[in-house]
Amino acid sequence: MSDPHLWQFGLILRHLPYLLAGAKMTLAVSAVSILCALAIGVGIALARMSRSRSAEFLAGLFIDVWRSTPTLAQLLWVFYALPILTGVALDPFTAGVITLGCHYGASLAETFRAGILSLPAGQRQAALALGMTRAQALRRIILPQAVVRMLPAVVSMFIVITKESALVSMINLRDLMWHAQSLAGLTMRSTEVLTIAAGLYAVCTYPQALLVNYLHRRLTAHA
Amino acid sequence: MTYQWHFQVVWQNLPFLLQGLGMTVAATVLSMLVGLVGGLLIALMRLSAWRGFRMPAIAFTEAFRTTPLLVQIVWVYTVLPLSTGIMLSPFTSGLVALGLNVAAFMSEIYRAGITSVSPFQTQAGLALGMTRWQVLRRVVLPQAVRRVIPPTASMWVGLFKDTSLLAAIGVAEVMYQARVIAAETFRPLEIFTATALIYFLLTYPQSLAVNRLFKRLRVQE
Repeated sequence: MSDPHLWQFGLILRHLPYLLAGAKMTLAVSAVSILCALAIGVGIALARMSRSRSAEFLAGLFIDVWRSTPTLAQLLWVFYALPILTGVALDPFTAGVITLGCHYGASLAETFRAGILSLPAGQRQAALALGMTRAQALRRIILPQAVVRMLPAVVSMFIVITKESALVSMINLRDLMWHAQSLAGLTMRSTEVLTIAAGLYAVCTYPQALLVNYLHRRLTAHA
Repeated sequence: MTYQWHFQVVWQNLPFLLQGLGMTVAATVLSMLVGLVGGLLIALMRLSAWRGFRMPAIAFTEAFRTTPLLVQIVWVYTVLPLSTGIMLSPFTSGLVALGLNVAAFMSEIYRAGITSVSPFQTQAGLALGMTRWQVLRRVVLPQAVRRVIPPTASMWVGLFKDTSLLAAIGVAEVMYQARVIAAETFRPLEIFTATALIYFLLTYPQSLAVNRLFKRLRVQE
């Protein structure tokens, strides 16, 4: 038998500010993680394409390690195991940002590299033949075109980071998921609470999805 | 401070971790099957000319693509029994959640594969006197399958890692076992490192295989 009192949203709507406080934390942790992932992604991509063999190897290792293990395993490792090694205790927020930043930084590095390599080699050669330095060729010729190509993929990654940030509730960072689960426990109305929480996640990610679609249309229109 | 590593803890508990591995593989295989079949259904609905099929398919796909997998797993586990009265074991509800999630993403992969075959080919087939079904079977599908296989394979690798989220609802897969053992032995460093290593050793060869698949099946336009 299903519960006759199911889907009573009135009670839950009174607690909406509590859920919204969680959503704020979700947005904060995703925003900081996105910035970290971008910085790490650029660094690793540059290292991967550098002329130094060892930098290239280390960057490849970083990418493979972070991409070949589950995010949850990494999160628990960073939060519980890393402090034992370093002797520095991490709060859940920092642990979440480190994990999401490194995991998606590794993925973004591959996106950046693919974007840059997708340009015909002739463009760079032409720039060098015209007397530009390597840095000038990268900045003036390669990057303006590559950025356009990789933008939709990069923004998609922002959506994934926002969604995956729900994992940090498992190390007790009080994000939307954590607030939803505690509210569900308190009110015994998990149906409504979890459904609203899912809706709030959609609200956080859907504008980004629209942006991806828009960018995709804009950028492929005259390609 | 120098840390005293105690890797015996890992060896002693390895059987438990490997037990979890069986569960991880079972969850991956079964939810992939659900996703492959369900995704095809959704993709066909999405490509149908009738709005009554198309709209629900779009709603389904967007709902699963815009919410976190963890929320979906917990939602299916707690909400489904309450609203339908059907009691599901953690493993079964995990399968439902992962299966539906994969179905949503697979439907987009199928759709992209089918629509990436140029419409002129369909028109040419029809002009040669083939029926719609013949065009689909002889012209479109053989090419679409070639484009669908590599992203499907990387979906599989992602799913293999994502089954670790089932730990949140108490499915005794690798990650769950690791958390239990880490809590019991007070050795999170060794246990979580070993767990990450197990995942890496299993996932990395799969990713390499996927990369090769992408190279071999690359379509030249």
